[in-house]
Amino acid sequence: MHNVWLIAKREYTERIKTKGFLIATILIPLLMGGGLFGVATLAAKSKTTSHIAVLTSQLQLADDLKQELQNGKDSQMTVDILPARTSHAVLDQEMANKELDGYLVIVPATDAGRRPTFDFTPRSTADIATSSAIEEALHHVLTKEYLAQKGVSDSETAALMAPVTLNVLGKNGVHGNSKSSFLVAYVLFFLMYMVVLLYGMNVARSIIEEKTSRVFEVLLATIKPDELLAGKILGVGAVGLTQVAIWMGAAGLIAARLGATSGVQISTPQVVYFIVYFALGYALYSAVAAALGAMTNSEQELQQLNMFLMMPLFFSMLMLMPIVTNPNSLMSRIVSQIPFCAPLLMDLRISISMPQPWEIALSIGLILITIYAVLWVSSRIYRVGILMYGKKPNLPEILRWLKYS
Amino acid sequence: MPIVELEKIRKVYDTKVAVEGLSLTIEPGTMFGLLGPNGSGKTSTIRMMIGMTVPDSGSVSLFGKPFDRKALHRVGYLPEERGLYKKMKVIDQLVFLGQLHGLSEATARSRSLAWCERVQITEAIEKKTEELSKGMQQKIQFIAALLHEPELIIMDEPFSGLDPVNAELLQDTLIDLRKEGKAVLFSTHRMDQVEKMCDAIALISRGKLVLSGSMREVKSSYPRNRVHVVFSGDETFLQNAEVEEAKNYAGVAELKLHSEAGAQKVLAEAMARGTVIHRFDVKEPTLEEIFIERVRASFGDEEARGIVDA
Repeated sequence: MHNVWLIAKREYTERIKTKGFLIATILIPLLMGGGLFGVATLAAKSKTTSHIAVLTSQLQLADDLKQELQNGKDSQMTVDILPARTSHAVLDQEMANKELDGYLVIVPATDAGRRPTFDFTPRSTADIATSSAIEEALHHVLTKEYLAQKGVSDSETAALMAPVTLNVLGKNGVHGNSKSSFLVAYVLFFLMYMVVLLYGMNVARSIIEEKTSRVFEVLLATIKPDELLAGKILGVGAVGLTQVAIWMGAAGLIAARLGATSGVQISTPQVVYFIVYFALGYALYSAVAAALGAMTNSEQELQQLNMFLMMPLFFSMLMLMPIVTNPNSLMSRIVSQIPFCAPLLMDLRISISMPQPWEIALSIGLILITIYAVLWVSSRIYRVGILMYGKKPNLPEILRWLKYS
Repeated sequence: MPIVELEKIRKVYDTKVAVEGLSLTIEPGTMFGLLGPNGSGKTSTIRMMIGMTVPDSGSVSLFGKPFDRKALHRVGYLPEERGLYKKMKVIDQLVFLGQLHGLSEATARSRSLAWCERVQITEAIEKKTEELSKGMQQKIQFIAALLHEPELIIMDEPFSGLDPVNAELLQDTLIDLRKEGKAVLFSTHRMDQVEKMCDAIALISRGKLVLSGSMREVKSSYPRNRVHVVFSGDETFLQNAEVEEAKNYAGVAELKLHSEAGAQKVLAEAMARGTVIHRFDVKEPTLEEIFIERVRASFGDEEARGIVDA
């Protein structure tokens, strides 16, 4: 145990001292915060400002639509009202010159009481924002018109059409903010994704470094490969935990300063589960990385095997949206039990909507079993691999290594 | 009680036999030379000696007991491939390696400083390893192997890459350690070093032991049939029937004779032909000659030319 501690201590102190650690500690939250802020700002400013033409003979309808589109909730468009018989060729030409983003043709219904037909020709069919803004505006205008016909007063109509506010309450009945709790879930998810990958790769790199500098020969003359591997995983993992702790601490301080204004809350169970799942996820991925490091001789060779680490993480990323929209569906429950995805996905589910206690217990149990199995294989590959230089081993060779004790 | 006892050890890597039925014994207080051409199994043998790899068959005993990892605290090892953490400060590195060998931090630190002074690299203590010259790094590794005052010191090619001044400094250090009663095993290609320093040797070729014993035994088992002649004038005496092989470097000749008695006949013929003899030195073969001869015998003559680089 003493040797494991010495190796871990060296790994930890040497890494904490590097500039890379300092840079990562500062840059990762900056980039992440910057990214989130950027997306939020863009989303807020994404009102459509398209320039469209409306071809109609129904001037009242056209005028209401123009009002709605020019000063609507999500749109600040420019609308020209043109007579119904305007030549489409002229408009197509204007679109080709990029003076116009589309034109809407309103054909009055033949029967009374039926809706008119609306044909919209956009410059780009991918411009979903404009067409959905028109759709919404038309719906609004038609409803208003109908209500006006039925003799409902303007103020009553406005009251009726006002958007509904849905208060989302937490379990304790406190007014929660569902947007910010999603934000927290996302941030925690990507934080774990990055840190697990970063520090998993660090374990592999550190093995390759010792291999290329041949430090192994000296170390193995006194200590066992298993002790070396354990010390390395613990030491590098402790650096990762330190980094996460610094981020969490800083986030806590900032949140305390900003107080209620930020509206972002991280609960204690969220933090505890995050640390538990981070530790498990890191242990699992670094055990795999250790095997990859022992099998390869250089950083380049490692890059080729990288996908073994990336694939489950990437799969978890794909599962992010389905789980966010429906955290308790059968699929969400199944994929969040897969040991390689569980650290990310089960933690995500915990952030969004607390799963059953047995689900959490099962996922932790499964991860622990997998860690044990992966470590068993990795330590064997490691034991043989670290003394092999030169040629990259092929699969049958690696399988043979597993048989050496 | 022998310090190291290898009993018929054998190691096979996939299809290549690295070591085959090798037995050897190292007594306390000896300087032991492990010799052999490249790829002959020296490093494999050393690795099995310190439990880095396990022999497929045969047994390894250290300090009179079957191999046990606890005994490794009494062994100092300098590997052939030098390895140090490049980014670590020299003193931190030495303390770390000392601690791995079971020293306390304070002891490791004070001994490191003392050793750095002894091998004259005090100015390197606070530097990072990557800033040092290769020779300095080698000295640091040398210290790392000795910090815990091991009773058995194993050094794989300890002097390769050192300038003569530093090589001598380390040689003298090893000789001092031997005087203190420690057993030193080193492998090398430099036969002159072995001849000067070693009490006992083992010669390995193709994974097999071809020769071993104390230096005196090995030497005396060969006849004194070598002659070093410095002469001027007629050189036909070199074709004498007693001469098995002659290398003539214009006035200086190295002769190998069929028998010890032949020397007198060769000298008599030279005198008779009026050759002026400045020096006529009858010797036993050098270790280098023995080495080449034995390795060639193990390979077959032609093949050996490319393999022997001693």
